[in-house]
Amino acid sequence: MTTDVHTGTPAAPGRTRRPAPARPSERRWAAIFLSPAMLVIGIFMVVPILLTVWISLHEWSMFTSLGDMTWRGLDNYAGLWSDAGFRNSLRNTVLYVLLVVVLTIPLSVLLGLLLYFPTMRGKAAIRTALFATYVVPTVAIAMVWGALYAPTYGPFDQILGAVGITGIGWLSSPDTALISLVVFHVWQMIGYYTVLVVAGLTQIPGELYEAARVDGAGFWRQTTSLTLPMLGRTMTFVVLIAVVNAIQVFDPIYILTQGGPAGSTEVLSFTIQRTAFEYGLAGQASAMAFSLFLLMVAVGAALMVAMRRRR
Amino acid sequence: MRTRTARARGLRLVSAAAAVPLVLAACGSDDGGSAGGSDPVRISFLTHWGPEQVAMLEEAATEFESEHDGAIEVEIRAVPFANLLSTLRTQGSSANGPTMASVYDLWLAELVRDELAAAAPDDIANAVTDAWPDNLVAGVTKDDAVRGFPNEVNLYALNYNTALFDEAGIEAAPTTWAELSDAADAISALGDGRQGFGVISSWPAGTVHPWLSMVASNGGALLDAATPTLDTPEVAAVAELYAELVDSGATVPTMSGANANTTGPYLDNFVNEKTGMIIMANWWKGALQEAMGDRFDDVAVAPIPVGPDGTSASSVSYSWLTIVNGNARDEQQEAAWDFLTWLNGDTSGADGSSAMGDILMSMGILPSRTSDLEAHADQLAEPFLAAYVDLLPDATPFPSVLGGEEMTVALQQQLEQLLFGSVDPATAMDNAQSEVSSILSAKE
Repeated sequence: MTTDVHTGTPAAPGRTRRPAPARPSERRWAAIFLSPAMLVIGIFMVVPILLTVWISLHEWSMFTSLGDMTWRGLDNYAGLWSDAGFRNSLRNTVLYVLLVVVLTIPLSVLLGLLLYFPTMRGKAAIRTALFATYVVPTVAIAMVWGALYAPTYGPFDQILGAVGITGIGWLSSPDTALISLVVFHVWQMIGYYTVLVVAGLTQIPGELYEAARVDGAGFWRQTTSLTLPMLGRTMTFVVLIAVVNAIQVFDPIYILTQGGPAGSTEVLSFTIQRTAFEYGLAGQASAMAFSLFLLMVAVGAALMVAMRRRR
Repeated sequence: MRTRTARARGLRLVSAAAAVPLVLAACGSDDGGSAGGSDPVRISFLTHWGPEQVAMLEEAATEFESEHDGAIEVEIRAVPFANLLSTLRTQGSSANGPTMASVYDLWLAELVRDELAAAAPDDIANAVTDAWPDNLVAGVTKDDAVRGFPNEVNLYALNYNTALFDEAGIEAAPTTWAELSDAADAISALGDGRQGFGVISSWPAGTVHPWLSMVASNGGALLDAATPTLDTPEVAAVAELYAELVDSGATVPTMSGANANTTGPYLDNFVNEKTGMIIMANWWKGALQEAMGDRFDDVAVAPIPVGPDGTSASSVSYSWLTIVNGNARDEQQEAAWDFLTWLNGDTSGADGSSAMGDILMSMGILPSRTSDLEAHADQLAEPFLAAYVDLLPDATPFPSVLGGEEMTVALQQQLEQLLFGSVDPATAMDNAQSEVSSILSAKE
């Protein structure tokens, strides 16, 4: 049996409908329309990734041309696991990502539900205000948060000091610096994730809620049995983006803590920057960067597989 | 067939049209002016100075250009300190890279190895040798060649707040570690969130240099040639002193963090009279004055307190120099050396100073040329800077070795682990010895 996609003849039940092979003219036009995008992707994504891999196999200070690199093979990769600094950065990165996801996901769902369902005025204004934190450049708000977190004279310490809580180091203590950065990250990004959740909620047909109400389901039952399951695809995307954004965190750490104190906020992106630009070990830094890239691909793939299984 | 040919031609046309802007974007001109033509030779100067000093440098460059009838054009490029090295790495070897750069002497070994720091021509090397103190000439000499003009010199001293000293009943600046501990305890005892002695964290040089000044004042050193000496009793004693100060509450590590701008709580707490004493370099005078206003008069400077194994106060010093990019074209290098000779010469500034000397003094930074020190003798006699000038002859230069940045960060990490109680003093120094040995041996 052949399936004619042009006439819209339905496929036999249980079979996947295969698209008809494109005609030569269609292929040419497809190539024409796709080539600019493919060219841009090739130049700005594929080439840099391949170059990073190539550099990771060499020793290079970046003060010289690419042609003057010294071949190291896989030594830079082999050395990663014996590097205590890299292990510390990896540990901090994993902890940072976990904390961000654990805080972000429930909070964004909660805010999304609160902003979507109740009938109230000013919802759009609240959504805009929430999203604004995402739009403001990180550099600007990081400086503000640096002042908020200032020990002894900062507003947070002043307020807590008034109720007898003192001595929280915030960014200046290894015990609290990472969590302080996580709180900043969640504050900055929560509006973005909330908007994604609201967008996901708009995709759930209203008829389902009507049917649920007819069946006697209350708000809690509708939320747990209808809203959250139907948000699955959106949430997978939100988790994926949250993980990627958290893994890539750099600006606030560079501006506020420089990886300190005592290496407590040194995450992979900062270590890569320091290794490449301060130590002049571009080969090692590229090995770290490509390892991080593979880690992100693996996390992304795992989430996609989980989503497909769920579907 | 004809249609197919036309389409194929169209496809090639579209592809070519898409490629042209990309190719054009990829092919930048080297912007260095013509070689021997009528166009001016264009050179650039990369610095980390602030807007006020950049404006002074631009003014000097304009004067130099007019003296050369426009045959040389000088462009000033400024980046934040934190981005200076990364800018050099990403632009240094390119055709559009800076022709001259202001660099930290710790980087010089690597810059020379990778041929980014050109050797000065003989006449210029002789001029440097004649006009600068021997120890500074030695600092800019690598592989038997002078690599640039020494500029600023920074060294560390004990800064303290006399108002807090008065309040705590302390009559004089501490000269020994025992006096330092007593003074720190007395200031901490004032309460109201005060700490006696601040130790900077989250900033490699800000953590390591003051600590090493204490080591030097206890008769110790960081390296013996290229071998770390962090396992000696003189060094271990400083780690133990730090631990004792933290244990007694005289040092509160969370009060002295730094940020990317090399400011932050450590500066704010000193400015706000929450920190009684801190070891800092002379360059922060400008920041202190700006932040404290009239209260800057309460800031006094004293030599580093001497440890039980030391004989006299000794400070760690470091310097900056201006290099010429070894990758620049010959005529650019020649023009750059001309400009630097003029900028650092004793006719480009006011009253016998070099223009560079004037720029450095505007930041409260010690110039290094002998004639600049004489020309600015009056300014250098004011109490804050005079104390640093007095300490200069006994200062210990921070070692400029391959892997210096890594070594500094490794030390910083161990010192911060010690300050925050993650490791004891002996373990911190053992770890530091091991890590620094590993870093330096990897560079051999």
